[in-house]
Amino acid sequence: MSNENLQQLIKDLAGKQLADGTQLSIEMFDGENTVACIKVEDREEFPIYMTVDEGQILCITYLFGDDQVDPNKRAALAEDMLIMNVSIPLSAFSKIGDQYIMFGALSPKASIDELVHEIELLSDNVLEAIEAVADYLKEAA
Amino acid sequence: MSIFRKLLTAVRGGATDVGEAIVDSQAIRILEQELRDSKKALNDAKTGLTSIMAEKMGVDRKVKELSAKITEHEGYAMSAMDKGDESLALDVANKIAEFEHDLSIQQGIQEGYESKVVSLKKMIRQTERNIQAMDREVSVVKTTAKVQKANELASAKFSGSNSSLTSATDSLERIKARQQKKEDQASAAMDFAAEDDGDDLQARLKSAGIVNSASSGSSILDRLKKKQGDK
Repeated sequence: MSNENLQQLIKDLAGKQLADGTQLSIEMFDGENTVACIKVEDREEFPIYMTVDEGQILCITYLFGDDQVDPNKRAALAEDMLIMNVSIPLSAFSKIGDQYIMFGALSPKASIDELVHEIELLSDNVLEAIEAVADYLKEAA
Repeated sequence: MSIFRKLLTAVRGGATDVGEAIVDSQAIRILEQELRDSKKALNDAKTGLTSIMAEKMGVDRKVKELSAKITEHEGYAMSAMDKGDESLALDVANKIAEFEHDLSIQQGIQEGYESKVVSLKKMIRQTERNIQAMDREVSVVKTTAKVQKANELASAKFSGSNSSLTSATDSLERIKARQQKKEDQASAAMDFAAEDDGDDLQARLKSAGIVNSASSGSSILDRLKKKQGDK
């Protein structure tokens, strides 16, 4: 795990803004210095977790858990996510444990501007995605 | 089993129980052990290749020597025939036959080594590729495990409860409401500013005597009446 790379990225991202002037806040998240947490202003509900290793920079956002999915619509949800995957710019759906996620991966050599662009798209995609699959989720209690 | 399949098993690990670590650490340990084993096997294969190549070089040398001896003895047989010594020539020819027999055996061994070297090299390349892929994948799996831990911490901080209790659609609604509120505030501020400017302008015009304080409606009516009169 290349912690130094992550620390450098945090330094480079600090104080950055998205294209529309939205602020980003970023901090090291865990004691082992392996995960950074990025929050997009006004979208704090969906933080983006960032990790770096030799192979890639990985940005992950949690969408919802299995328990929020209408059990009768699970298969349809999975199929729609698979179908949507290709047409979503730069991000893709996946699942970690019982949590559905959206993620984007970049080369560790990517520029900071490319990374900011990735974060912006991921943040937008997450909101779009939840809206798109809302019908498959249980009614909010 | 393919690497992807193994990884799937590892990642699936504790996924059945909500709240449990998603990555089966035992499975990851097994994968890492397999990785170490593969790397060791790769090293062994490389050592094996080196010794086979050394043996092949020995055989190559023998083949070369035998070929040289055959050429040499062919020369002797010719000289013997030139001198009319048929029986000596026959002895030499018999010797050549022995050499040729040895040569064909050594050439067979040489071919065997050659194909072994090719297949071993191919296997080493494949193993190296597999190890690289596995290394990458294991690293990603370990990363996601850390991210998951982070998410659990975050949702505990954020809502004081597990993330699965905060509904994604609720969050989305909150974000949209916040965005709408911001937009409303912005447009209200703009309207207000416009009104403000307008009031200010009216007041200044009035105080300058350009617009009189009476309703401008009456002055318009006056103007219209005058227009009508002109016709």
